[in-house]
Amino acid sequence: MHAIAIHGGAGAVPRAALSAEREARYRAGLAAALDSGYAVLEKGGTSLDAVTCAVRILEDDPLFNAGHGAALTRDGAAELDAAIMDGKQLRAGAVASVRHVRNPVELARHVMEKSRHVLLVGAGAEEFALEEGLSLVPNLYFRTAERLEQLLFEQRGEHVSDIVPPVSQGTVGAVARDAAGSLAAATSTGGMTNKRPGRVGDSPIIGAGTYAKNGVCAVSATGHGEYFIRAVAAHHVCAAVEYRGMALEEAVRDVLHEILRKLGGDGGLIAVDHAGRIVMDFSTEGMFRGARDSNGRRDIAIY
Amino acid sequence: MSRPNLLAILSLALLSSAQAAAPPPAPPGPPPIAIAIHGGVGVTEASKMTAEKAASYQAGLAAALDAAYAILERGGSSLDAVTAAVRMMEDDPQFNAGRGAVLNQDGDAELDAAIMDGRGPRAGAVAGVRHVKNPVELARLVMERSPHVLLIGDGAEEFALEQGVVLVPRGYFRTHQRISELAEAQQAEVNRGTALGSGTGTVGAVALDRAGNLAAATSTGGLTNKHRGRVGDTPIIGAGTYARNDGCAVSGTGHGEYFIRQVLAYDICALMAYKKLTLSQAVTEVIHGKLTAAGGEGGVIAIDPSGNIVMDFNSIGMFRGARDGHGLRQIAMYRDTN
Repeated sequence: MHAIAIHGGAGAVPRAALSAEREARYRAGLAAALDSGYAVLEKGGTSLDAVTCAVRILEDDPLFNAGHGAALTRDGAAELDAAIMDGKQLRAGAVASVRHVRNPVELARHVMEKSRHVLLVGAGAEEFALEEGLSLVPNLYFRTAERLEQLLFEQRGEHVSDIVPPVSQGTVGAVARDAAGSLAAATSTGGMTNKRPGRVGDSPIIGAGTYAKNGVCAVSATGHGEYFIRAVAAHHVCAAVEYRGMALEEAVRDVLHEILRKLGGDGGLIAVDHAGRIVMDFSTEGMFRGARDSNGRRDIAIY
Repeated sequence: MSRPNLLAILSLALLSSAQAAAPPPAPPGPPPIAIAIHGGVGVTEASKMTAEKAASYQAGLAAALDAAYAILERGGSSLDAVTAAVRMMEDDPQFNAGRGAVLNQDGDAELDAAIMDGRGPRAGAVAGVRHVKNPVELARLVMERSPHVLLIGDGAEEFALEQGVVLVPRGYFRTHQRISELAEAQQAEVNRGTALGSGTGTVGAVALDRAGNLAAATSTGGLTNKHRGRVGDTPIIGAGTYARNDGCAVSGTGHGEYFIRQVLAYDICALMAYKKLTLSQAVTEVIHGKLTAAGGEGGVIAIDPSGNIVMDFNSIGMFRGARDGHGLRQIAMYRDTN
């Protein structure tokens, strides 16, 4: 049994505003990431390679808020966060506020595999990237005309939902279970449009936006990050499954629709458990998402 | 309180157990208040600890403990109590936080801090700040005056300036002691050919106030000779710092990477909520079970809604102190003695 689920962010693109052409592009972007991640698993690859592959493709796709095409800070720059976790040994790596790393998820993986640390931030993280032989790119690489327009709208106090064409506000992420039973999760984001420089959301916070533990589950989150941090959302799902014996679906529903709703935050979660069962749930109007497993399931959905 | 007077009281107050015993069932009276603080697990071996040094650490812990306890006794909030305790230890150069924090590979103090209010719960944190005298106070401003939880680096300092916080030069944090520790670490690195950060100090506090609110705060300079940009568990909500009124308040110290991977502080609360463990059982499971099994070293101070305090560690010692409304007052460093 192997299985993968991906997300391209929750909320923000109202159904009515999404043209058929635009929707087709989002679906194609999700399909490319989903099928590439699945192909890694199908070839007997690890869940870690599968989630890295899927997230890297979503980072490279300008439609999604991560890597190229990430949302911009109030200063007009991209500041990127990412995390990855290997459920096998509870290894994890994360980076925050990097501005010149093409694929933050790959740098997060280097942090996990090549450093003694879990989280590196800012210029120090980029110094580490250079030490690891990764080439840096100018910040300009990440900026797209659509994100600049979105930033201007936001700064003029207009609703992002009025932007045509609409762009995803979300985060991207993936969770997978490989044939050997190992779980992994990865998440990457540009954060909130018009955010304060230095603001870090839940994506690179192990336990908040990203978590994986073999025998339990792997989780990647998207949504209003501050609430996910306070609720320790991703680890909460794992704790509810492991300690309370809750079904994954019930644990995800509890954190999204009870705990986070009470705190006042919305968003979505994708998760996969030790048996390869996939759960994708959200409290927003929609969540860009996809799921595929070795039982023949293959779904791509937005609403 | 003068130093000699303080030491006299201290020598009477030193207890022999690593864990404060749970108080007997509370007699009817005012609601419980309690506070615990730590100054890190970076305790040198007992054989290398001079009496003079020990007295100085104990005095530093006692000053923070008693100032914070006085806030609770006056009816102040647990949030104010943990802020005060951590601020005092940040200002004390013997502890690895604020002034006297350990230095990174570039010779700078890069500071991390977090605070969490069990009501709400609300939280604020900062990481990688280099010019903020009291990082715990900036973390509190993030919690109270921004919509965010975590701000880092230059962006966090920009926010500090917007809030009217006066920045200090980097030289403020550097002490002779830390400069020579860095030189030693870098010499060892050259000799060995590998970088290895050391130092497991951090300061923190947890408290329960009369209104039944729990709070936790933690502050650190991280590891000596750390890679620029490295962030440990301290400012990570759920890893090194966590508080929830219906659960527990926890502040951790030790090998931060292990605390992050295990979401250690939150895990204590989750074990209590879901497996119905007591605070003491939950701390034992995460420190002596999970952390030890993973090969990590560290300790926590924790408090539950009834005011029970647990201070435990799997290292040779942990600078710590506890005080409550039932008359407990403990300052300790090692497991079995003072």
